Amino acid sequence: MNTPNNVFCDGLARRDFLRIGSAGLLGMNLTLSGLLRQKALGAASLKEPSFIYVFLQGGLSTIDSFDMKPDAPSSIRGPFSPIRSKVPGMDVCEYLPKVAGVTDKFSLIRSFTHGDAGHGAADHHMLTGYHPNAAFNAGLSPNNQHPSMGSVIAQRLGTKGSVPPYVCLPGMHPSASSAYLGPNAVPFIIETDPNSPGFEIPDMQPPLTIDAARIADRQALLSRVDRFQRSAEQRANANAAERSVFAERATSLMTSKDAKAAFDIQREDPKLRDAYGRSTLGQSCLLARRLVESGVRCVTINHQNWDTHSKGFTTLKDDLLPKLDLAMSALFRDLDDRGLLQSTVVVITGEFGRTPVINKDAGRDHWSRCFTVAVGGGGIHGGRVIGKSDAQASDPADSPYGPEDLCATVYQLMGIPPHEEMLTQEGRPVMLTNSGRIIRDLI
Amino acid sequence: MFGGPIADRPKTPPPTFAMFRPLLRCLLLLLGALQIQAQETRDFVHDISPLLSRFGCNGSACHGKAEGQRGFKLSVFGNDPRADFEALTTQGRGRRVMVTAPENSLLLTKSTASVPHAGGPRMDENSREYAILRDWIKSGLVYEEKHRPNWVGMRMDPPETVLGFDQNQSLKVIARASDGREEDVTWLAMFHSNNPALAEVEETGTFKTGSTIGQAAVMARFAGQIAVHQVTVPRPGTPNRFEDPAETSDIDRLVNKNLRRLNLKPSEKVDDAGYLRRVTLDVIGRLPSPAETVVFLEDKTQNKREKLVDRLLERPEYADLWALKWSDILRVDRRTLGHANAFAYYEWIHQAMENNLGLDQFARQLLEAEGPLAQNPAGFFFKVTKTPGEMAATASQALLGIRITCAECHQHPYDRWTQSDYHGMRAFFSQVAYKKVGLEEALFAEGPIKTIHPRTKEVLHAHPLGTPMPEDDPAGDRRQALANWLVASENPWFARNMANRLWAHFLGRGLVEPIDDVRASNPPSNPELLELLTLILKEHHFDQKSLIRAVVASDAYQRSSAPNDTNTADELNFSRALFRRLPSEILLDAICDVTGVPEKFAGVPAGRRAVQLWDSEQQSYFLKLFGRPMRTTACVCERSSSSGVSQSLHFINSANLQLKLSHAKGNIALWLSTAKEDAAFVDALYIACFSRRPTGEERAEGLAYLQTRANRRQEAAEDLAWSLLNTLEFVFNH
Repeated sequence: MNTPNNVFCDGLARRDFLRIGSAGLLGMNLTLSGLLRQKALGAASLKEPSFIYVFLQGGLSTIDSFDMKPDAPSSIRGPFSPIRSKVPGMDVCEYLPKVAGVTDKFSLIRSFTHGDAGHGAADHHMLTGYHPNAAFNAGLSPNNQHPSMGSVIAQRLGTKGSVPPYVCLPGMHPSASSAYLGPNAVPFIIETDPNSPGFEIPDMQPPLTIDAARIADRQALLSRVDRFQRSAEQRANANAAERSVFAERATSLMTSKDAKAAFDIQREDPKLRDAYGRSTLGQSCLLARRLVESGVRCVTINHQNWDTHSKGFTTLKDDLLPKLDLAMSALFRDLDDRGLLQSTVVVITGEFGRTPVINKDAGRDHWSRCFTVAVGGGGIHGGRVIGKSDAQASDPADSPYGPEDLCATVYQLMGIPPHEEMLTQEGRPVMLTNSGRIIRDLI
Repeated sequence: MFGGPIADRPKTPPPTFAMFRPLLRCLLLLLGALQIQAQETRDFVHDISPLLSRFGCNGSACHGKAEGQRGFKLSVFGNDPRADFEALTTQGRGRRVMVTAPENSLLLTKSTASVPHAGGPRMDENSREYAILRDWIKSGLVYEEKHRPNWVGMRMDPPETVLGFDQNQSLKVIARASDGREEDVTWLAMFHSNNPALAEVEETGTFKTGSTIGQAAVMARFAGQIAVHQVTVPRPGTPNRFEDPAETSDIDRLVNKNLRRLNLKPSEKVDDAGYLRRVTLDVIGRLPSPAETVVFLEDKTQNKREKLVDRLLERPEYADLWALKWSDILRVDRRTLGHANAFAYYEWIHQAMENNLGLDQFARQLLEAEGPLAQNPAGFFFKVTKTPGEMAATASQALLGIRITCAECHQHPYDRWTQSDYHGMRAFFSQVAYKKVGLEEALFAEGPIKTIHPRTKEVLHAHPLGTPMPEDDPAGDRRQALANWLVASENPWFARNMANRLWAHFLGRGLVEPIDDVRASNPPSNPELLELLTLILKEHHFDQKSLIRAVVASDAYQRSSAPNDTNTADELNFSRALFRRLPSEILLDAICDVTGVPEKFAGVPAGRRAVQLWDSEQQSYFLKLFGRPMRTTACVCERSSSSGVSQSLHFINSANLQLKLSHAKGNIALWLSTAKEDAAFVDALYIACFSRRPTGEERAEGLAYLQTRANRRQEAAEDLAWSLLNTLEFVFNH
C-alpha cells in the first residue's frame, strides 16, 4: 500500500493540517503556508506580500469604464468615449484620465464571468471564491458560508507587528467574515469613514478625561491586582491565556507608535490626501496603503453605490468615475513610489458588470456573464489585457476566468498554496479555492 | 453505547476464546485469500464503490463535490452507487473504463498518475486494489451481483485499549455480512481520530498515542458501516491514590472512577466565596449582590451551599437566564418572525421556565403546537424553521443533540444516518401548514402528504431516527407520534441530551462535546456518568431543577479552579473547575451591577437587564462585540465566547465604561461617600466584583493607590474599579 487514505487532492495529509492548524491558535505565524513561505523566502530581504481588495459594491459598469465598445450600436455603447492610455490597447473611459496614466501598473481581465447576477450571492462569490448554496441568507451579517479571502489570508499568514492581520473599512461587507475559520480570522473592522473630519478608530484611545499618566497608573495597578495573570489557572485554561494575549495586543495596538500611526490618516501630506480624492473611496484607499505599509496582510475596502440602474451615466460621470479615477490612480502610483507595489496585490472590481443593453432609465442592470476586473501589484505584470469579451461585452470571447481563479491567483501571490484545505466546524475538508486555476498570464 | 446493530461493541471474549484467536485470525485471512483466489466476479457495488471511498476519490474536496472535479463527478462518499457507475461507464466519452484495453482506462491511468492527475497517485500497478479495478473492467463492468451478501455490521478488534505515551497500537476492522460471515476489511476501511493529539491514526489502522492525557475515539468507516475503538491514555507516573469519603454522591463516584483510571487527582474544594459567585452566575445569570455575599460569607450553618441553591432556584432571574438559553437554541429570531411574533414566542419560553415546566412537556408543547399562533406561540418554531426538512433537522439538534443535516443529501460520513433517516424525520413535519382563522394565522398539520426519497424516488413514511420504517405514516398529526416517541422513557437520546446540556452548562463541558453533536464516532467521555444523569432526570419526571440541585451539589462542580500537580493538562474530565468567559449579556449586566449604572436599550423598558432581552438583534455595540448568536441555526456554536483585540480595547478604553465609573449617582461615588475609611471602600469594591473580601495584600495595594492620590479620591477610586473590571477574575466564571 503506497497511498495513505487520508491524503486529499492536494497531497496533504489531514492530520498534518490539523496539527499545524492548531498551532496557529493564537494567530501566531505558525500556519503551514506561513512556515513554507518563511522557508522559501529565506533572507528577509523580500517584503512580505499583502493584499488590497477594493470592492465596488453594486457592480461597476465595466462596459463604460475598462472594456468600452465604441463600435457597438448606440443602444449598447453608451454616451462615453474611450481614451488612449499609457499602454496601447488598454483604452479606458474618458472620465478616467488619471487612471489612463498608470495602466502600466495593472492589468485588466476582460473575460471575467460567473453565473449569478443577484447582489448578495454574487458578492459572496467574489469575496470568498465560493458561490453560496441554497441556504444562503444575504440579509445576515456576517453571512459567510465560506471564509472571505481576507480571513483565509489572516488565518494562513497570521499577525505581523502590532497591527491586526485583516482589516475591513469602512464597516464590514456582510460576506467579508471568517465563517468556519473562527474568531482569529475575523477582520478588525473600522466602522467609521476615513474621510470624516475627526476620523478615529473606536476604543483605540482612552476617553478624553483619562490622560496618559492615568492610563499608565491603571495598567500598572491592573498588573498588580490581576491575580490570575501568570497564574497556574491561566496556564491551565487556554481561553484565559488567549484573553491575556489579546489584552496585550490591544495594549500594544493603542500604545504602539506604529499602530497608532498606521491608523492615523491625519499624518498624511494634505497634498497626497487630495491626490487620492477627499472621498470615502479615496481616503479608504489611502488608509489601506498606510495599513499594508505597517504590516496588515489584507485590507478589504467596501465602497457602495455602484448599482447604477437609473441615471447611471450621470452618476458615473459626475460622481463615481471621478472618485475612482483619483483613488485608483493615486493608489497605484503611491504604492509604486514607496516600493510597495511589488509586494502588494491590488484587485479592483464589483460583484459583476452591467448589461450591454442600456435600459429605459439611462442606466444598466446586473450582468455577471462578462465583466472586467483590474488587478495589479504583488508580482502581477502591469499593462496586460487578459482575455477578450465579445463585440457587445455580453460574453467572454476567449479564456474565461471566474472568482475561483481570482482567489487561486491572489493566494498564490500571497505565498499560500491555493489547493490546500481548510476544515469546516463539522470537520468537512474544503479547499481554499473551489478548483481555481492560477491565471498564469498575469504573473 | 448507542445501541442498534451497527455501533454495537462486542463484549470482551471469555478467556478460553483468546486461545483460539490466532487460529481464527488465520482462518479469516485464509477466507479472505480464498475469496480473492476464487475470482468471484467483481461488481461495482461490492468491490469498486468501497475502493473509491477508501482512496478519497468521492470526498467532498475531490470528485465528490457538487461540481465534480475536471468533469468527473462522483456522489459524495459513494452515496449514489448507480450514478457513480454511470459516471464511470457511460460518461467521459468511454475513456474512463475500456473493457477491451483495461490498462488504458482513465480509472487506472489516473489512479496511478501515469497520466497527470491533480489528486496525485492513489495506488501502484502491483497493488491488489489495482488488480481489483482491472479485473472488474476486464470482466465487463458488472453493476451488482445480487447473490453476494451485504455488510450489516462492523466491529474493531480490540474494542478498547489503555496505553501510555508514544505507543503504537494496530486495529483490525471486522465487517459482518448478511450471511453471518465475518471478514477483515482493515485494508478497505478509512480511519479517523476525534483527538489526533491523543491518538493519531495511520491509513493502515495503526494509531500512535502522543503525550496527551485522556480518551479518544478512533473511528473506522467502510461501506456505510461505522465502528469505534476507544483509547485511554492515563497520566504516567506513580499512581495517585485518593479515596472516596463515605458520603460521596453517585455522580462523584463515577467522576472519580474515571479520574483514577486516568491517574488524575481532583483539585481541592472551592471556598465559599468562589462557590457563591460561580453558582449564582450559573443558576441565575448574574453576580451575587454585595449584601447577599456578606450574609453568605458570614453564615455559619453547615448546609449553607444547599440552602443558597434552593433560594437561587426560586429567584425570578432563573427564568430570565434559561429563557435566554432556549431562545438561542429554538431561534427566537426577530428578523424572520417580526417583533410581535418573536416576543410572543419568547414569552412562551419564559413562561415555561418560570413555571418549571417539565422538559418533556416543554418539548411536547413545542412539537405539537397548533391552532392560532397568537394563542399558541410555540408554533412560531415552525415559522422560524420554515421547511419540513429544517424543522426536522432543528428539532433533532435541539432536542436529541443529533445533527442529521448531512443525511439530507448523502449518508452521514461519521454516523449511521442515511437519507431515509433524514427524510423519515422530515415526513413528521410535512403536514405543517397555515390558514387564516378570522384575522389570525393558525397552524394545522393534517392530511396525507407523501414524502419521496430524493434519489430512489421511493415513498417514505415518517419514522424516528434509528427505528424501522412502518407500513404507513402515523394517522392524524404526525408530530404527536414524534413527541410520544421523544418523551417515552425508552427513548435513547432526548433525556440524555437534556442531561448533557445541563451538565455542560454547569461544568463548562459536556460529557458529549459538542453537546449537540451526538454521534457513534463521538462517544461520551464518561458514559456511565451520562447514564446516571439521564436516570436522575427521568426519575424526577424531567424536572430540570432537580438535576441542577444534584449537579451543583457534586464535588465535581465544587472544585477549585486551581490545578494541582496532576491535572493542569486535563480539561476533559472534571478534575478542576474550568474558566468560562461570561456570556455577553451576563458580562454587561455584571458591569452595570458593579457600577450601579444600568444600561439603556432602545425601545426596551428602563431597568430591563441585558439577560432579559428577547431580541438578539437589539442594537448594542457591547453585545455584538462580546458575541451574540444570530439564531439562524439551533447550533450552540453560534454563541461565541471567544476573545478578540477589539474586546480588550473596549474594556480598556470604552467611554461608556468610564461614564459608569464616574457617574455621580453610581456605586463608586456612593461607596466613597458612605465608606468611613478607604479600606471599607476597597472591601466594597472587591465584594461587588469578585464576591470576596480582598486579601491583606490586596487591601494594602488598594489603600496605597487611594492614599497616594488623596487629593483626587474619586479618580483614584475609578482607577481601582477599572483595574478590577479588567482582570481575568472578573471577566471569567472560574
